[in-house]
Amino acid sequence: MPRFWVVGEPNADGSISKLSTEVATLARTLAAAAGGEAVGVVVAAEPDRAAGELAAYLPRVVAVADPGIARHAWSVPAAERVAAVLGDDADGHVLLGAGPDGRDVAGTLAALTGRGVLANATAVRWESRLVVEMGAFGGKLVTSSGFKTPGGIVTIRPNMVTAEPSAAAGVVEGRSPAGDAALPRVAVMDSVEEAGAAAPIEEARIIVSGGRGVGGPDGFELVRELAAELGGAVGATRAAVDSGWIPYSQQIGQTGKIVKPQLYIALGISGAIQHKVGMQTAETIVAVNRDPDAPIAEFADLLVVGDLFDVGRALLVALRERTG
Amino acid sequence: MHPVSIPPSGHRLTDEQVLLRDTVRELADARIAPRAADIDRTGEFPEDIRRLLADHDVLGLPFPAEHGGVGGDLLTVCLAIEQIARACTTSSLILAVQDLGSLPLRLGGSPEQLARWVPPLASGETLICFGLTEAEAGSDAAALRTTAVRDGDDYLINGTKRFITNGSVAGLVTVFAVTNPDAPRHRRLSCFVVEVPTEGFRVARLEHKMGIRGSPTAELELTNVRVPAANRIGEDGDGWTLAMRTFERSRPGIAAQAVGIAQGALDAAVDYARQRKQFGQRIGEFQMIGAMLADMDAQVEAARQLLYTACEVIEAGAPDAARWAAMCKLVAGDTAMRVTTDAVQVFGGYGYVDEFPVERMMRDAKITQLYEGTQQIQRLVIARALLGRGD
Amino acid sequence: MHIVVLTKPVPDPAAAAERLGPDMRLDRAASPAVVNGNDEYALEAALKLVEAHGGEVTLLTMAPPGGADTMRKALAMGATRGVLVTDPALAGACVRSTDEVLAAALRELTFDLVFSGFDTSDGNAGVVGAAIAARLRLPYLSNAAKIEPEPDAGLVRVRRITPTGYDVLEAPMPALVVCTQVLGEPRYPTLKGIMSARSKEIASRSLADLGLDGARVGGAAATTEVLDSRKPPARGATTVVRGSAAEGAAAIVSLLASRRLI
Repeated sequence: MPRFWVVGEPNADGSISKLSTEVATLARTLAAAAGGEAVGVVVAAEPDRAAGELAAYLPRVVAVADPGIARHAWSVPAAERVAAVLGDDADGHVLLGAGPDGRDVAGTLAALTGRGVLANATAVRWESRLVVEMGAFGGKLVTSSGFKTPGGIVTIRPNMVTAEPSAAAGVVEGRSPAGDAALPRVAVMDSVEEAGAAAPIEEARIIVSGGRGVGGPDGFELVRELAAELGGAVGATRAAVDSGWIPYSQQIGQTGKIVKPQLYIALGISGAIQHKVGMQTAETIVAVNRDPDAPIAEFADLLVVGDLFDVGRALLVALRERTG
Repeated sequence: MHPVSIPPSGHRLTDEQVLLRDTVRELADARIAPRAADIDRTGEFPEDIRRLLADHDVLGLPFPAEHGGVGGDLLTVCLAIEQIARACTTSSLILAVQDLGSLPLRLGGSPEQLARWVPPLASGETLICFGLTEAEAGSDAAALRTTAVRDGDDYLINGTKRFITNGSVAGLVTVFAVTNPDAPRHRRLSCFVVEVPTEGFRVARLEHKMGIRGSPTAELELTNVRVPAANRIGEDGDGWTLAMRTFERSRPGIAAQAVGIAQGALDAAVDYARQRKQFGQRIGEFQMIGAMLADMDAQVEAARQLLYTACEVIEAGAPDAARWAAMCKLVAGDTAMRVTTDAVQVFGGYGYVDEFPVERMMRDAKITQLYEGTQQIQRLVIARALLGRGD
Repeated sequence: MHIVVLTKPVPDPAAAAERLGPDMRLDRAASPAVVNGNDEYALEAALKLVEAHGGEVTLLTMAPPGGADTMRKALAMGATRGVLVTDPALAGACVRSTDEVLAAALRELTFDLVFSGFDTSDGNAGVVGAAIAARLRLPYLSNAAKIEPEPDAGLVRVRRITPTGYDVLEAPMPALVVCTQVLGEPRYPTLKGIMSARSKEIASRSLADLGLDGARVGGAAATTEVLDSRKPPARGATTVVRGSAAEGAAAIVSLLASRRLI
């Protein structure tokens, strides 16, 4: 019976990450198609909250309480504990989010269990075997790949799946950490919070982005207001980041993040290839630009020709009027 | 505007030359291109670009590695000039004139002279210029009137040079002067390296020009400028030969500049034709525009390939090096003028305003038909080589 | 200090000429190769550290023989030498083979740090660093925004980017660090660097040299395969709205509402 293991990622506050709930939903779908089982694994010093939340999406979640993990970088000890839980289920597939922690676990797990890895999946299907879709060459191609090993590891991009809880909550099985802690643990000496650090932009459903046309850090105020009004995140092009108007963590494009939100609003962004590869698969793309011939006109759904500040402010007004 | 550049083919270049070319290209795109319009507008010598080129060893390209240079051959130097000229002609001139001004020294200097002057030139901290032309001696260079009269262990130089690129920013001036007024025509001149500033040396004025506006074109007055005989390059009377041998290697540099300007204009025109829509479609799809772009592309590539061949042939010591140097400069200069003019045409009205770079490129291109020997002089050189008269 | 930087030649993204061959593998002949962009950030970080602490940088690459040419640019940036693992059996190698081969090559070297780039532009997997660290039992520090080795104390401190800011990690050396672009823009090679690169050593290693079996490691033993490829679905036509700002805003609201985004 095919088994689909979901490695849940706990947030710093103990809750389960949004991306993990998306991956769990996908696992359930695959298990149904394959006539198999979807199981979650959460490894943390105190996994109960995250495991409980993940259990809303999976029939069974294994919670491994590993107190030592609190003082260490998470991914390596977590991977070892997950490998022990996998045990002799050599055929089981492992699904993770494609964020920094998920891919770290994916790499370590690949070495520990000998499984192949298909990373940054945009879709996963079951057709008598796992079929994994990924974008290639800056989005020019979509490839479908499979594993030649019995079980494989797949990392999944944010926003590819809409998280949907199961009809009934699943059970949480507590387990003590098993297996030797053979791999070196890396000590966490300090955790620093930075003002303005935003949730990973790859996970945002809606992104409002500013480019060179925004003109300066003050201009980004409008971008922030629109993002807030729409419940979205703020993105930027390399030009805006290089000019120091917004931190690098918000940069989208070839040298920044690749995102696939449901809505991407591009303000004062020309749409040159370096930025385009970062956002061209967004479901809906709206652009505001003074130049009707900007490259973004070729792939946006809607291009409003005009001054981004005039249109942006009018949009804020219109949105606020709707919500009353 | 983000010009799309057609990736250059490296099929006859070594991997090292490709890497050198691409490094200069990246530098030009990232750090020089954004400055080009401003340099033209203000007409100020871009000291920041000089420092950038020095810091990245670009000014060291023509000089031997043993004296702190990079040891690039003629083709390599031309590759660098071409890539910089794509972005900014004025900036490319900094390298081209560092090459031109130092050629007499590199061709005919003694080991002591090389050891003394090459290191600061190779590091880029000192610029050198080429002081041949005078008000009454342009094409007829042999008619120059600046004199250098022996006085003990020194020479005293008197005269005025005109149209000297970098004359106001150079620390070394290669001065050609008459030392043997009664000798046959081509044995009258000698060549000196003059360290400036020095007593009697004055930058009298700077020209206001159609193009290459950030490049200072100076009139230099020399009044009893005293120069040790040790600063003379070669023997008394070697000046003319040194100048002719210099042109064999410096004219390809100007050809490279012209090819670069033309390529930059072509890139801009192609980018525009891809994006600009009129009558419901991209203007590049209209046959009249497409045909222009096609001709421009073929002409630039032809000029480029002739340049590369000329560099290889001249570097290999061909006896008719002067003919090759003249051919590549002739073809490239005319190509640059034609291609930049057509580029403006592709842009239509927008090509005439400084919001787009092509009007500057057209103004810059014209000088490549004028300096380093006018196109007419190039034709004389080639014809003489064909007809068998020595120069 | 001795830092080994993992580099990979990839099709030049700027040339945009990448494609798959009939065997569903990347057609490496179709496109000029360059050093993977993110690896240059790792290399830059390594060069800055050896400039500060003294030492050398070795490049390690698994690639077809042409990989030596691509290494030249990285050598021109200032790396001391290169090691190229190349073997016909490696054509079509997957991630698992890559990390096994690189780990074997690293076992032959003595180093304080191994740096890896964030991911590659031709595969984006970003998992090879973690797998190598596991195979070699090296401390693994990823998502690095800052790297501070203390050679006298034999340890390295790394700032790891988190959603809320950063964690400060500490581990004994030797260790493996995955670098991010936040570490700083890579330098251009100097022209002198380019000329001197030609005389820098690139040592070649085959699978046999590393004691590995081509049948177990390499294309023949690939753990994944591409089943097919297609172009992504074309987007619909663009609606262009000109007019007043209010009209533009109304058009946006209308579109968002129709797609249930608001």
